[in-house]
Formats: sequence, C-alpha cells, structure tokens
Amino acid sequence: MPNSRKTYSSIYDKYVDKIYRFVVLKVKSQEIAEDLTSEVFLRGWQSFKEKKDKIENMQAFLYQIARNLLADHYRQSSKAQLVSVEYAPITDSSQDLEEKAFLRSDLEQVKAALANINEDYREVIIWYYLDELKVPEIAKMLDKSEGTTRVLIHRALKTLRNELK
Amino acid sequence: MVEKHLIRQLKELADIQPRKDWVVLTKRRIFADEEISEAKPGLLSFFPFFRYKLALVPIISVLIIIGLFGFTQNTVPGDFLFSVKKMTEGAQVTFTSAIEKPKAHLELANKRLEELNNIAENNQVRNLDPAIKEFQANVVQATKEIMAMNVSVTTSDSMVLKDIITETQKLEENKQKVEEVLATVIGDTQDLRNAIVLLEEQLVTQLIADLENQMLTEEDEELLSEAKEHYEKEDFSQALYKIWLIHNY
Repeated sequence: MPNSRKTYSSIYDKYVDKIYRFVVLKVKSQEIAEDLTSEVFLRGWQSFKEKKDKIENMQAFLYQIARNLLADHYRQSSKAQLVSVEYAPITDSSQDLEEKAFLRSDLEQVKAALANINEDYREVIIWYYLDELKVPEIAKMLDKSEGTTRVLIHRALKTLRNELK
Repeated sequence: MVEKHLIRQLKELADIQPRKDWVVLTKRRIFADEEISEAKPGLLSFFPFFRYKLALVPIISVLIIIGLFGFTQNTVPGDFLFSVKKMTEGAQVTFTSAIEKPKAHLELANKRLEELNNIAENNQVRNLDPAIKEFQANVVQATKEIMAMNVSVTTSDSMVLKDIITETQKLEENKQKVEEVLATVIGDTQDLRNAIVLLEEQLVTQLIADLENQMLTEEDEELLSEAKEHYEKEDFSQALYKIWLIHNY
C-alpha cells in the first residue's frame, strides 16, 4: 500500500470515532451523521493527497471540515440542531442492567440538554469532556486565546448544568 | 446536577461509536477508484529568520540618552519637546516583554494623569486638550494589549497580572480625582474595565483549577472555598484577592 494511503488509513482509524461522535451529537439522525462523517474523511483524503506536508494538526483539520459541513447542512435543512437521542447507541458492557437503565435515563437527559445549549458551548463540551482535547488545541481550532477558551468551557458547563435543573 | 456528576455523565457520552460495518465500508469507499500517487517532496522550505530592527536601535538609544539627560523630563503634552519625551517612553515600552506591555501603558496613562493634574494647577490651558488626548491614547493602547493577552499560569506572570489589575485600579482613582479638579470627563474607561474583568475571570478560572490539584493547608482550603464562592457570583476581583492570599502576594 502506498505511503499516503497507509498514513491516511491510520488517520482514519484514529479519528473516525471522534469525528462521528462530534457530528452525531449535532444532527438529527444516524444516517445523516454517517453521510457527513464519510464526507469529512473523503474531503480530508483529497486535501491530504494535495498538501499532506502543510497540515500541521490532522485532528484539528478534520474537525474544521466537519464544522464546515455541519454549517452547510444546517443552512440546507434550516432546522434546529437536535441531538439524535435514539440514534446514538452507547456501548458499555461494564454495568449490570439496573444500573445501566438508571444511567441511560440520566444520559438521555444530558444529551437532550446538550441539544438545547448554543452551538459554541456544545462544541467545547464535546471537545474538552468527551474527546479530552487540551485547552491549547481547542483554542487553536476556535482561533481564540487559551484564557478565553478556558472561560468558554467553564461557561458551557455552567449553562449545561443550568439546563439540567 | 452536581458538577462532578455531570462531568462523569459527559464522559459516558464518549462511548458513542459508529457502526462497525459502516466504518469498514466507508474506509473502502474513500480509497476506491483512487489512483496511487505518492506525494512529491515539497520544495525546500525556508526557516523563518528573526529580523532585528538594527537600524532603529541606535536612533532609539540616542533618544533614550537624551531623555536620561532630562531635557524632556518636565515637558507635558502640547510642549515643543514633548514628542521627544513620548518617543523615549515609547522606546522603553517597545523593549518590555509582551506580558508587561499593558502595565507599561497603564503606567504611562497614570503619568499623563499626573501631568493633567499639574496642568490644572498651573492653569496651562493650551496643554489641556493634548494632555487629555494623550491619556486617552494610552488607555486605548493598554486596553488593546490586555485584550490580546494570553493568560499564563507561571508565578511571575501571575504577579505581573496582579500589577496590571492594581495599576488599573490606581488609574481609575486618579482619573476620578483629575475629573473633579477639572470638572470635566477626560475619557471613557469602560472598555478598559471590561478588559480587566475578562482578564480577572480568565486568571481566576486558571488559578482555581491549579489550586484544586494541589495539596493545601486547611486555612488555604478555606480561602479557596471562599474564592470559588466569589467566582460563582462573578465577583472575580474578590475571588482573586482570596487566591492571592493563598499565594502570599
């Protein structure tokens, strides 16, 4: 397998879950999330072939493609960004059934609340708490200072907490 | 919902995964019908080089020397040689570090306030307008520098930031006194106040996060708890005051 394809194949394996999760928490359905995520990686592949050496941070690059595609999707659908609660299967087999049921209802509330807060807050929450990106990485993607990004994360969590009250 | 519990819930959402068969099919689709081509090696890239403003250094040095000899020390805005004094001050600011620049501009603004006070006492009417303009320019510059700052956690930076906040408080007090003397408003510092509040918020957020990861004495834990209460109420200056007590600033 040629080097570029091999490298990009590794990149795909590394980031497909994260990009999919980022997208599925923002759109209405699993099918749409799959379509958009496929498109992210297709476009990523085209860019990777042309300017591989110029992409400093592949993760940030893929997230940016995802954000752009989501923006186009929202424009075309002109609908509110809803979390596809029922189409975001969570796979975790470590708890018993009762605890799973309890957690699932809690999680459904959190997902629903996440859908109700603004886009900027939702993004930083996904990146910081779910994808465990560091503040400097998030700041760079948002083109903001690290201090402002920390404040944004704090405000986002506070807003989400208030949404759940 | 308690914050820690919420964060745990959010981390549970990290288990959301795509369908395995979709992942495999998508990967195949991406590479299907692609011609194999290796990326050509790029052209040689040039390392960025540092440009020293060598031509300006001797000029600025001469101006600093002139200033040191006190030819312009006592000039105020509107005087013939004030521009030389201003260039000397500007040169001193140029060679300060990025994090100290806002403090330098605030100190200059405070200096302009002292000059305004002297102008008022000596009834130097023709100098009043230029002095007010210079003060406003320093405030605007300080505000821009503060807005552009990237708050850091190092101890020395934290102390510089404390100085910036203290210098701003001093400026507000001095401005009020000068306005009382002149019986006129000499400028709007609302943007500066907003920038300071944002700076305080950023600093407090970072310092609280750092302190939570440290072993603290019982007394410091109490202070941290009080700082967090102030933070939740968005009283960032009081929160900072408590944190500075922990750090013994």
